[in-house]
Amino acid sequence: MKLDRLNIKTGIEVVTLILAFLLPVILEVNQYFLTVLILMLVFTMYSSAWNLLATSGQGSLGHAAFFGIGGYVSAIISNSFGLPVIVTIVIGGFFAAVIGVLIGLTCVRLKAWFLAMVTFGFAIIVQTVTVELSGLTGGWDGIPAKKLVPVTITNHVMYEYYIILLIAVVVIVIIYLIMKSKMGLALEAIRENELEAKVMGINVTVYKLKAFAASAFFTGIAGALEIHHFGYVTPEVYGIDISFWPIIYSVSGGLYTIGGPILGTVVITAIWEVLRSFGMTYGRFILIGLILILIVIFLPKGLISIPEKIKSKFLKN
Amino acid sequence: MDLGVFIQILVWGIYAGCIYILLAIGLNLIFGVMKVVNFAHGELLMLGAYATFWIYTFSGLNPYLVIPLAMIILAIVGVFIERLCFRPIMGTGKLNEIFLSLGLIYLFQNLAAVFWTTDSRSIHSPYSEVSITIGSINLPVDYIIIIVITAICLIALQLFMKKATLGRAMRATSQNREAATLMGINVERMDMLSFALGSAFAATAGSLCLISGQMVNPYVGSIPAIEAFAVVIIGGLGSIPGAIIAGLTLGIAENIVPLFLQSSVGLLGLEMSFSAWKDTIAFIILIIVLVIRPTGIFGEKEE
Repeated sequence: MKLDRLNIKTGIEVVTLILAFLLPVILEVNQYFLTVLILMLVFTMYSSAWNLLATSGQGSLGHAAFFGIGGYVSAIISNSFGLPVIVTIVIGGFFAAVIGVLIGLTCVRLKAWFLAMVTFGFAIIVQTVTVELSGLTGGWDGIPAKKLVPVTITNHVMYEYYIILLIAVVVIVIIYLIMKSKMGLALEAIRENELEAKVMGINVTVYKLKAFAASAFFTGIAGALEIHHFGYVTPEVYGIDISFWPIIYSVSGGLYTIGGPILGTVVITAIWEVLRSFGMTYGRFILIGLILILIVIFLPKGLISIPEKIKSKFLKN
Repeated sequence: MDLGVFIQILVWGIYAGCIYILLAIGLNLIFGVMKVVNFAHGELLMLGAYATFWIYTFSGLNPYLVIPLAMIILAIVGVFIERLCFRPIMGTGKLNEIFLSLGLIYLFQNLAAVFWTTDSRSIHSPYSEVSITIGSINLPVDYIIIIVITAICLIALQLFMKKATLGRAMRATSQNREAATLMGINVERMDMLSFALGSAFAATAGSLCLISGQMVNPYVGSIPAIEAFAVVIIGGLGSIPGAIIAGLTLGIAENIVPLFLQSSVGLLGLEMSFSAWKDTIAFIILIIVLVIRPTGIFGEKEE
């Protein structure tokens, strides 16, 4: 029985992966559609990274800080040192992780709302600092960034899609391994009851900082990938919306799970793009807000728990 | 720095502080009774400002007289939010409240954008031309009225909480929910009442913003709400005196610190503008306070 379920799950995962690889080929290559898919992948990484931090009970409202830092650092280094983009993306991630640990240090003693406000504030502080360092960052105008794949290559967006898909798969597998490891268990224990976790001999501070570092690292990579896809970066990358998207995706997909943020990103992005094609500007946000409220109230474990719910209903009958 | 300029900035700061205090008190009332933080409080401010705007535009009454109407409308909105959104998720975890509030923020901001467009709107206070001049100091009458109205609200709230039976029942609920239930207090009604009062205070803050000449658009609530959270956190969750002290301090600090920094940097012979740092300063203060005391200056001790 257990084996069967495992097989079904891996089956779904394999099918999803194959689909992701073939999608651009099946559907005729449409620049706009590919861009949507690329952003979907970037945000899948970003939401999974946010969710990793949330697993430790730390709901950040300012993850755009790491997203933007990763992007800016990668763009600046690749512009001024001429390093290949793939290398600078990782450097951007590391830089974000260092800042993540610094922010984490102020957050370890804080509880839910306090942490939410401090992380939110950090995103605004980082934005202000970025704008003020206009010699390096170009102020509000931003700076250009190298493309992930040079525009001169034909079908460069397609190559970008595959590179980002590969990185996304690697990132999500690493996050999966972290969540399944001892560290993941420790983070869950801290979320459920910090005092009890301490009593069990878990070093709460160290694990919280590790979670911050890992989450910021992957967020930084996602940010850098987005920047190098668009080819420029402005301080708008620190916007409140960018901080809120991973939360919306993770909550609607299913918090504290691997599949949740991925499912949430895909479903919500799809709804978003369909609504865009209907020409709704504010209506989209209203609907997203409603979805979020309804899911928090009626489906607290997210869309990913729907099969379970149906199953338990059938078992009852 | 010139003394006249200093006093003028001080009054500016107190005026800014009044808006923060009204919002922060509402947040604290709701938190005290329900142990819930409504992150969408700024949107209630926005709705309150719009309520005043539309009633004023259609009736032509003195805008200050419209405020009680806006308070009643927002109190009703607050009751609906409490019943439909916050009551079902009470006790399911603090993160859920944050996520739900995010949903409410998106909902209200964009409903406002759909119904009333994103145009900035403003009204003219009948006293906008009047000001009191003492020596070199020039104080607009509107600011003084706003400070007085805030003071009246605070005193009325204090009397209500101390003397009225309902107010005492609310305080009892915030001190110990179970014991209050055993004493025959309908705690769920207290939840509703706290949300209604909190929303009404937010409506007052919004109306005062509008009347003092600020533009109102669907996104106007976010910045004051953020500042109000800083006030609540610095002052301590649930502490009303803390909110008043922190609100005034933040309002004044925000207006004086950039000027102070500018003049001290100016002494070094540098030209720098710190006006972009206005919102950032609130957070820097907030983070410093929280690093030293994780539950705020007047907050309860943990564990």
